[in-house]
Amino acid sequence: MLPISDYLFLSFTLLLIGVIGVITRRSLVIKLFSIEMILNAAGINLMAFARFFADAAGETFAAFIILMVVAQVLVALAIIAVVFTRWFNVSTAPAKHPEQGVPAS
Amino acid sequence: MLTHALDVIRNFMHADGAAFLPQLELLLFAVGILAMDTWISQKEKYWSPTLALAGVVFSGLTLWMLRARISTGAEFTAVHDTIIVDTYFLFFSALLLAASALVILLSVNEGSIPLRHKARYYALLLFACAAMMFAVSAVDLLVMFLALEVAALSCFFLAALRGVSSKPEPSSVKFMLGSLFGSAILAYGFSLLYGLSAATNIGKIASALTRRHNISKVIAVSHQPGAHGAQMYQLLQSRLPEALHWRPFMLETLPIAAFLLVLFALLAKTKAASMHRLVESAHSASPITPVLFLSGGFIVAMLASLMRLTLTVFGEYHDTWWPVVVAVALALIAAGVVASLRQKTFSDILACASCAQIGYMLLALISGDETALTALVYYLFTYLFIVSGAFAVLLAARNQSAAGPQMASLNDLGGRSPVVAVLLVIFVIALAGFPPTAGFFARYSLFQSLWRSGHRYTAWCAAFLALPLAWSYLRIAVHACRRSPDSNAETAAVSLGAPEAIVLGVCAFVSLAAGLYSEPFMRMARYAFGQ
Repeated sequence: MLPISDYLFLSFTLLLIGVIGVITRRSLVIKLFSIEMILNAAGINLMAFARFFADAAGETFAAFIILMVVAQVLVALAIIAVVFTRWFNVSTAPAKHPEQGVPAS
Repeated sequence: MLTHALDVIRNFMHADGAAFLPQLELLLFAVGILAMDTWISQKEKYWSPTLALAGVVFSGLTLWMLRARISTGAEFTAVHDTIIVDTYFLFFSALLLAASALVILLSVNEGSIPLRHKARYYALLLFACAAMMFAVSAVDLLVMFLALEVAALSCFFLAALRGVSSKPEPSSVKFMLGSLFGSAILAYGFSLLYGLSAATNIGKIASALTRRHNISKVIAVSHQPGAHGAQMYQLLQSRLPEALHWRPFMLETLPIAAFLLVLFALLAKTKAASMHRLVESAHSASPITPVLFLSGGFIVAMLASLMRLTLTVFGEYHDTWWPVVVAVALALIAAGVVASLRQKTFSDILACASCAQIGYMLLALISGDETALTALVYYLFTYLFIVSGAFAVLLAARNQSAAGPQMASLNDLGGRSPVVAVLLVIFVIALAGFPPTAGFFARYSLFQSLWRSGHRYTAWCAAFLALPLAWSYLRIAVHACRRSPDSNAETAAVSLGAPEAIVLGVCAFVSLAAGLYSEPFMRMARYAFGQ
């Protein structure tokens, strides 16, 4: 097994990429992907520590995180799809109100 | 065989099952509401809120019985030490049930929730409340994370609830993204805590972290050249081989990193809930009661979980993290004050100012002593009732007015409905922190604890920021009392139904009584810590 610091470095990199993606990107779908990247970084940590300690609790935690990721992605995409049918836009950039006749871009 | 099955169920309910019986009752009532909705007619839809209230009442009665049980013996844990029934859980569960009851009562006459959605709405409220109660009772990282996620999922659906116009609002998407972001960061912070302790139970994590400082010194010595270093290396290899994989720097900094991540994550979720609905159009007809639930119950659950983690796991690092909490708290207060001064609708002022209120509550963690924590719990308790009362007035005014959530719906409220205007002024003064209301005593207790613990500059900054915050609230009262010269101004009186009257009466009582005679309420707050 590689040293634990290597796994921590990988997960921290993924965490940084995910945080930067959430803060800087405007598209809702890409923000969602960035959040999933952070969750995967947490999963990597948990699996690495579970292997390191030979403890099943970490693996169980990682499995539940994946289950929650699936559930949240389904709910989030459903809500985004419903909002898109009204606003024709999945960007979080400030947009004019559709009722004023200006399509949001 | 049936007798045997009943015996198994009975034994389980006397043992582990008793620990989550209040939550189980809420879940059963929620399922019952959904099942019953399939066969009742439109005229019988009143059964949905009735069942929801009954579920809350039954759950509260079960909490009372659990109180009797732990008063005779000590607190007890269940389900392999993953959940605990202690005074902290009892107090915050009762508070969450009270928040749910207030929202259910206000939802009865809320016309903007379509009738076909009401059963699902009440069921979601009960699901969210049960999940939040699990989060407050959890002493295992996995259970706490799952409970917070289930509560957040229920709140996503509540926040996305469409009004009678059947048009979804994008603010629900922003709340969902903010909450998911907080969850992801929280999962990462929890993974670090697991890595530092090889345990998910917060008690075991706390004891592992207290040993980590000594272990890091031993590891540092084992890396030194010479006979002493080699001897220490062999000792570690025989007694604690996994420690050799850690560097001292990582063992010293990872707990601080975990604390910052957990703090940031829970605050991100709290802020996402409190800032919900800010981007709505002025004529939005979306329901208000989900906003109230997010501003009240959801924030109580997040802060209660943060307090349990901070006091149990991170208490030893108080000297390291209190400056961070000061900076975060003052930044939240300043951001909330600036944002609320720029808002023009009643609900947006409350939403932005609630950010500042959360900042004030965080200040109690800086002192960390018994007085400060009691003040924090008292602040949470009174804030829940005061903000519920303010939202109840908003709901009543909106139901009568075509101006929606704009301040215009409050014009000349004093002339149209003096009683409602007086109640609004009470709630606004309480939120602004003026005597003799509960808001003043809550903030005074916080400042007193800061002053006594030596954080005087922080107390001065927080007190200074309270002035513009008070003005952002008082604008609402000024609008309500001012007679508008506009010929199109509202002239209809605000009528209150029985549920709204009950909610307003209870909230006004707490807002005034907790300020005029605070001793019983402080005693309740001290009960949360077993006193």
